[in-house]
Amino acid sequence: MRRAIQSLWSLIWVLPFVLLLVLSVGRQWTFPAILPAAWSLENWGSVFAPGVHLGQSLWRSLALSMSIAAVATGLGFVTSRQIAYHPKKDRWLLLAYFPYAMAPVILAACLQYYFLLFGWSGKWAGVWLAQLCIAYPFGVIFFSGFWNQRMRSMEQLVTTLGGTTGQAFWRVLLPMSRGALLVCFFQTFLISWFEYGLTSLIGVGKVQTLTVNVFQYVQEANIFLAALAGCLLFLPPLALWWMNKRWLFRGSTK
Amino acid sequence: MKRIWQLLSWAVFLALAVLPLLAGWGYAGAYSLGLTGLLSKGFTWGYWQAVLADPAFWRSLGFSVYVSVASITLATGMALAAVLAWRRELHRGWLSYAVYLPLTLPALVVGFAMFQLLAKGGLLSRISFHIGLTDSLVAFPDWVNDPYGIGIIVAHTWMAVPFFMLMFFNLFQSEGLALLGQVARSLGAAGRQVAWKVYVPVLLRRAYPLLVLYGLFVFGSYEAPLLLGAQSPQMISVLAIRKLQRFNLMEVPQAYAVSVFFVVVVIGFLVLMRRRGAAASLKI
Amino acid sequence: MRYFLLCIPFFLQACSSPSPAPAPDPAALSWEEVEQQAKGGAVQMMMWQGDPLINAYMNDYVVPAVADRYGIDLHIAGGQGNIIVQQLMAEMQAGKTDSELDLLWINGETFYQLRQIDGLYGPWTEALPNGQYVDWKNPFIARDFQQPVQGFECPWGNVQMAIIYNSAAVPEPPRDREALAGWVKAHPGRFTWDMHFTGLTFLKSLLIDIAGGQEALSGPFDEEKYRMYSERLWTYVREIRPYLWKEGKTFPEAVAPMHQLFASGELWFTMSNNDSEVDNKVLQGLFPETTRAYVWESGTIQNSHYLGIPRLSANKAGAMVVANFLLSPEAQYRKQDPQVWGDGTVLALDRLPEEWQQRFRELPGRKYAPRREEMQQRALPELAPEYMIRLADDFRKKIVEGSE
Repeated sequence: MRRAIQSLWSLIWVLPFVLLLVLSVGRQWTFPAILPAAWSLENWGSVFAPGVHLGQSLWRSLALSMSIAAVATGLGFVTSRQIAYHPKKDRWLLLAYFPYAMAPVILAACLQYYFLLFGWSGKWAGVWLAQLCIAYPFGVIFFSGFWNQRMRSMEQLVTTLGGTTGQAFWRVLLPMSRGALLVCFFQTFLISWFEYGLTSLIGVGKVQTLTVNVFQYVQEANIFLAALAGCLLFLPPLALWWMNKRWLFRGSTK
Repeated sequence: MKRIWQLLSWAVFLALAVLPLLAGWGYAGAYSLGLTGLLSKGFTWGYWQAVLADPAFWRSLGFSVYVSVASITLATGMALAAVLAWRRELHRGWLSYAVYLPLTLPALVVGFAMFQLLAKGGLLSRISFHIGLTDSLVAFPDWVNDPYGIGIIVAHTWMAVPFFMLMFFNLFQSEGLALLGQVARSLGAAGRQVAWKVYVPVLLRRAYPLLVLYGLFVFGSYEAPLLLGAQSPQMISVLAIRKLQRFNLMEVPQAYAVSVFFVVVVIGFLVLMRRRGAAASLKI
Repeated sequence: MRYFLLCIPFFLQACSSPSPAPAPDPAALSWEEVEQQAKGGAVQMMMWQGDPLINAYMNDYVVPAVADRYGIDLHIAGGQGNIIVQQLMAEMQAGKTDSELDLLWINGETFYQLRQIDGLYGPWTEALPNGQYVDWKNPFIARDFQQPVQGFECPWGNVQMAIIYNSAAVPEPPRDREALAGWVKAHPGRFTWDMHFTGLTFLKSLLIDIAGGQEALSGPFDEEKYRMYSERLWTYVREIRPYLWKEGKTFPEAVAPMHQLFASGELWFTMSNNDSEVDNKVLQGLFPETTRAYVWESGTIQNSHYLGIPRLSANKAGAMVVANFLLSPEAQYRKQDPQVWGDGTVLALDRLPEEWQQRFRELPGRKYAPRREEMQQRALPELAPEYMIRLADDFRKKIVEGSE
């Protein structure tokens, strides 16, 4: 029974992926057929055609999202400590929720003006900064719960034993938070990887991340291309996650 | 040295998290009052009046609250149950892989996949036709583009459960709950009592900021409701973007008014919850 | 912090005074000079990129061709009409002097909005050498949504709305309003239209039909006429509403989801503003091979889509050279091939050199849509843009959000 429920549970979360993969190589999918009437690799071929530059945008997007994730996680980790130990902690933390208090698409419309004003529009640097503005507050909120009394006592213990603040940070706090850091890295990576609204508006379509390149297909009529675009979007983070899985879940148990 | 670090930290926080938002909000506010904008004719309350007098706007606000509360409640319940029941399996085994998959899908793709699954012409309807549950496409229930937001809630729950499981699972470790459970048990608590009186309250309280954050994300979500929602009522972001990007440029300031209002609602809610949260944490 | 907030409106005001770009006006130069000026420059084009066939036409044919022949580095970015308008509005507000964009693919409602905000450069189309093959007096080219084009945009393709149906499910599709009402009552849940551009075009052709056909609503917006005829339109819509998809309680967001519903078999009809889209979609394996397109007895709206240049573009000469290439018989011929894109040409065949006339005539026809000449006889002109804005508004208020 327990196994059956678990299998059903897993199925619910795996099914959409199977559907995306199947549709990405399908043609003609009319009710009531369960599977498409014909199969074709044409769609996969068309996105890897020479004029599309998909490989290029894949590497650039990976570099963009990795660096955003690294910076957002690092800055979030360091700065959230100041905020967490501030007497008016709650009030400051409230401000970090702001980026999520506005729907991303609307936020993009509001920020577009400023990016144009300062000449950051249509450039990778501009997009990088814009994405950091949404990824970084996540890091702050993520780590705000991490700086608790226990951590504080740990730091104090190091100082009492004669260690410096730097030593406390590098030798104790950092190793202790490895699991949390990796989870935050992964999350902020995803925030950047899937970011479309800001990237397309601030990048004016010139900054072609993979998401910007294939997102349009998801909203168009051709479900097979939409499914293919979906596959292209989830495969890279899936690979990253696969590599990190051991750390993600076991790291925190050590 | 320490002082410099502190100052730097605050500077980064203000520059990256606070400043863009205040600036964006200020722009939206100025736009909604006719103070800026290419077609603006000077200061007016007209756009605000138009928005606040529109019953569709209020319905849309209520609908957004309903969808976020429903999605978060469902997802929290499911994730808590799964984490508490299957702690061991979440460490290893294929379940540990399967449930975390959805973190790798963006909302738009989830919306698309859910549509292909739940629509009357979708996969579930086809399966139900083949096993004889329904005798035609039309007989399958309305699960997408429906007035109750079923499709949107399913999509958000589907996305949130794995995220919440990851969070609860990590909290369980970091809070040393297994130890607390043992203590409770040795004091004579039954398994069910341990779950309800120890695990659930601690997990919920610790997860509270991220649950609220996620609720806000659902409240302001755009892609899933765009693909899975009905035309009326629409979720608030869908409504705002429609006014921002559709045919009538005269409605653009209204879109900004909706956004400003939206932020006010969210902040009001946050302040309220924080007060309550503080009060509750004092009691414990 | 409070002081900062106070500053924002002033800040915005200070920065929003637009200063016109002092770049030399290429329309005043000879074409050789324009080409000379364009050489070696980069042109940033923004267009809808949701169709792999269209993307392939641009990426595999146009981009290399303009690089080879004119030394122009053409970049294409994805973005539909509303994104273009939003971008140009924000640029003008921020007081930019150089736009990020040089060439735009636009259609009627975007043209109307861009003219509203004075975002387009012009007139410039007279300078194009390939303009000699265009019949500028043709009402489907000279007027975009009843607004004179006046050289502010260059025609690129011409399409007509077609109703699409599955002939396996619907052997005899209804051909006018009354027949449709009868058909939906007999087959509830299988017909609808979308809330966006395509659905509104459908409502516009119903309105024209109700008003008495063809020229009844041409010219500028007429409040009186609109009120009278739209009331009758809503009466008609209310009559058939319970028999529409989901009992008419909701409508598809845009044409793309409607196509998806048609492809899965949930709907038996869909529609397209592009008469050759049906061939394209069957070719891509989305629509079943039993799909057909047709035009009602009362006609459907025909319109052109255009290329525009932002007023603030920094490389207008380059944009003009690219536009001129896109208007060339060679590029237009290739584009009309249903295997390539299937977009109708805007060139007047009788103005072309004999060999090109011949080649255009020999182009393979569409398999699933009627011949262009046949449809042309039932082509309705576009209405003034206010009609669409009002229809969109009233349709939402009176039908979608209406209590009945």
